[in-house]
Amino acid sequence: MSILQTIDLKKYYGTEPNITRALDGVNFSVEQGEFVGIMGASGSGKTTLLNCISTIDTATSGHINLNGKDILEIKEKEIARFRRENLGFIFQDFNLLDTLTIYENIALALTINKQSANQIDGKVQDIAGQLAIRDVLAKYPYQVSGGQKQRCACARAIINQPQLILADEPTGALDSNSSRNLLETMQDMNRRMGATILMVTHDAVSASYASRILFLKDGQIYKELLKGKHDNRHFFNQILDIMAELGGVQDDVR
Amino acid sequence: MMYAKLALRNVKRSAKDYAIYFATLSLTATLLCAFLSLGFSSDIIGMTENMSMLTSGILALSVLVALIASFVIRYAVRFMLGQRKREFATYEILGMELRSIQRLFLIENILIGAGAFLIGIVLGSGLSGLLAIFVKSIFHTPHNYSVYFSLKAVLVTMLLFALMYGSGLIQAAKIIRRKKIIELLYDEKKNEKVKDKSIIRLVVSGVCTILEITAGVLLLVNGLKIQTNVAMLFLGGGAGLLLLAVYSIYRNLPFLLIGSVHRKKNYLLHGERLFLMGQLKQRFNSVGKTLAVIATLLTVSLLTMFAGLTMGAGYEANMEAYYPYDFGVAVDAPLTKESFDDVISFVDTQSTVEDSLTYYLYSAGTYGVEALSISDYNHLRYILGLEPKTLRQDRFLIHCDTWIYMEPIKSALSESATIELAGYKLQSSSEEIFTEPMEQYQMAGTKGYVIVVPDEVASQLPAEKIRLVCKLKDGGTPALKNDARTNLNSGKWKPTVQPGMEIPEHATLGITVKAWGIANSLTGYTTISFCGLYLSIVFIILSCTILAFEQLSRMETNRKHFQVIYRLGVDRQQQKRLIVQELSGFFVLPLIVPSIFLLFATIGFHKFFGEAILQANLIPLNAGITLLIFLVVYSVYFCATYFIYSRTVTAESHNSH
Repeated sequence: MSILQTIDLKKYYGTEPNITRALDGVNFSVEQGEFVGIMGASGSGKTTLLNCISTIDTATSGHINLNGKDILEIKEKEIARFRRENLGFIFQDFNLLDTLTIYENIALALTINKQSANQIDGKVQDIAGQLAIRDVLAKYPYQVSGGQKQRCACARAIINQPQLILADEPTGALDSNSSRNLLETMQDMNRRMGATILMVTHDAVSASYASRILFLKDGQIYKELLKGKHDNRHFFNQILDIMAELGGVQDDVR
Repeated sequence: MMYAKLALRNVKRSAKDYAIYFATLSLTATLLCAFLSLGFSSDIIGMTENMSMLTSGILALSVLVALIASFVIRYAVRFMLGQRKREFATYEILGMELRSIQRLFLIENILIGAGAFLIGIVLGSGLSGLLAIFVKSIFHTPHNYSVYFSLKAVLVTMLLFALMYGSGLIQAAKIIRRKKIIELLYDEKKNEKVKDKSIIRLVVSGVCTILEITAGVLLLVNGLKIQTNVAMLFLGGGAGLLLLAVYSIYRNLPFLLIGSVHRKKNYLLHGERLFLMGQLKQRFNSVGKTLAVIATLLTVSLLTMFAGLTMGAGYEANMEAYYPYDFGVAVDAPLTKESFDDVISFVDTQSTVEDSLTYYLYSAGTYGVEALSISDYNHLRYILGLEPKTLRQDRFLIHCDTWIYMEPIKSALSESATIELAGYKLQSSSEEIFTEPMEQYQMAGTKGYVIVVPDEVASQLPAEKIRLVCKLKDGGTPALKNDARTNLNSGKWKPTVQPGMEIPEHATLGITVKAWGIANSLTGYTTISFCGLYLSIVFIILSCTILAFEQLSRMETNRKHFQVIYRLGVDRQQQKRLIVQELSGFFVLPLIVPSIFLLFATIGFHKFFGEAILQANLIPLNAGITLLIFLVVYSVYFCATYFIYSRTVTAESHNSH
């Protein structure tokens, strides 16, 4: 079942003749339980696409259907509610609140979503156990490692069991070891917990953990790559080939 | 020239950051200039002989204001540097020398300072005209609005302004020199550590605070009972300890509040409360001592304003009652009435005496109160322009112009309305209490009230005290007081004692002159009220400025925090509500203990001075006025901070939806 569908999605900046087509008719869909990566060179429109889907930015035209509802038609007053009930976020720079402990950062997503206080502790402990961050729950973000911070962000993103988790360069601020751990965590969230994930990345290694990759070029879907039954290494090589076609291979392989 | 242009452009661009800073500088300069102009105005000083105390008071307070303002300016300059460190780092990377950056910042600030100073001089001169009208209306002197421009005031303001502003700029230059580019560029990426205070420390500190309050209150209460100069030591020590207690309370109170909220998980884990508490905890952590200093400063300003207004108004309220007679002499000795014939003759040489009365204050034996004869009482009423009273042979009446005694007298009368004096039984009722001002601590009684008895009864009582009052044709002059004192003490006056009576060991002599008294009271009223208002308004402004800067200095970090909750699904309206709650918590908390202190001060003033102030509810009324003025100034700063803060921290949601 398709959970996300974009139809002829366009996002233009500026006015004629100096118009920038950040998204120029993007059509794709994401099935429930899929782990989809979005790749592309700088300026290809991948972050704009993510921002439009996450309702942080508004599209110029087209449709974004999330679970059958066109999010472009949601009234401004209802946007926040829609977001907290349907979407989870993971960002490059963690976006944790340094005023709250790891526990409180995770719990915040639940309290904002009006969960009753007596259910919160159980849920936080449960997700922290699954993501191996139970030991650091009482600590503040500045007291834990980057990897632990990002797993805390993952916990916060999934704790409300959103329809879709949006990840924007989640490994961007991590070393290679922490990156691998995080990607395995995300893969686990996808496989074991059934989370649907849409991840924007320009890193081929990160992308190889996804089950499908969409390549963006000049605001349009340029190519689609399915992992199928291949392992990560094979998938990684396929990704590199396409990136070479796109002309970004030298810059983006780390 | 290039620097001047760049500096001017920077000032324009950073107008938002500079707005509160500029407003505070302008307001401080305005108040300095306005009050100094008033203090130096020959028009005002010439109003009474002792008006120069207003000048001295204002001048001394201006130095204090400049000193405290200099700390606030140093603080504000640090804030501005914080806001612009990236910009300075960019200049450095582009190869601009440190000296040039310092010069740039200096030019910018000189432009701002000069602008604020000029505005201050213009507004201050205008405001001093209004203050002068206020002073003149107090003295019932004809007045029209005119600008009080005083070169002396402008020069003193300029000197004080330069001193307080200069110290801030020197500090800024030091900071710029010491900071490295990397610190300027990446300072804000450092994580803020949220500290938790240990329980033992909180308990020890709590015990110390309780001791400080107890000792402070004891010293104050005892100080108020002492009549010598030692009282000042007690009062000063008590006030110091209480201020220290305020400081101690605020070093711990925020943590206790947040800590108690954190212990109530069910309360905390509700809606956006978790986020709000996190924001407040971080605020209180990072401001720490500053918040305690602000609360102490606010306590000083609230109490100064309250004390100034109350004492000033008290003076005015008591004025008519203290000086109802044009001229009066009170001698607590059994002199003969003839002794005062010479005094009346002397007064007549100074000012025509229209009417005079020499009378006794009789001792009412065991009742511990003085008595007047009905004929003397009615003559006093006549001099004061009041209707005479009639009294039957078996009755007495009471005159009480001190409101605090009214209830006890009424309840005593309801218990027993009969007294026995010199073998006569006299009765009264609560309808026979009269309250017109007669000055009942010296002239018509010495206890705050007096009983009035038939002449026949009075003639049987010992006449231990004697009084003289005169009604003068032109009301007399303030100088009459000194002239009469000199005359009475010159040795020419030869009073005689009633037969069979003796002059007590410590006989006292008092002279009261209405013209002198009123001028004196009004000067005291003006000086105390104006100095109190001046100091406290400046303190409030400075405290609010620090609060505003503390909040605004976290704008960038908090913008990121609000972005996070925006993405987690907290809409713009909720964000604005959160900002109001956060700002309220931050602005209201330092006001809580000072307000409680004001409440206690009101009760304390009422207990100790209520008796002396002859107008009911004057003390609570002035406490109310104090709080009102305070809240007005406070609200202006709160709104300005909210406006700037909310625009910045919710910027992302504005842009996207």
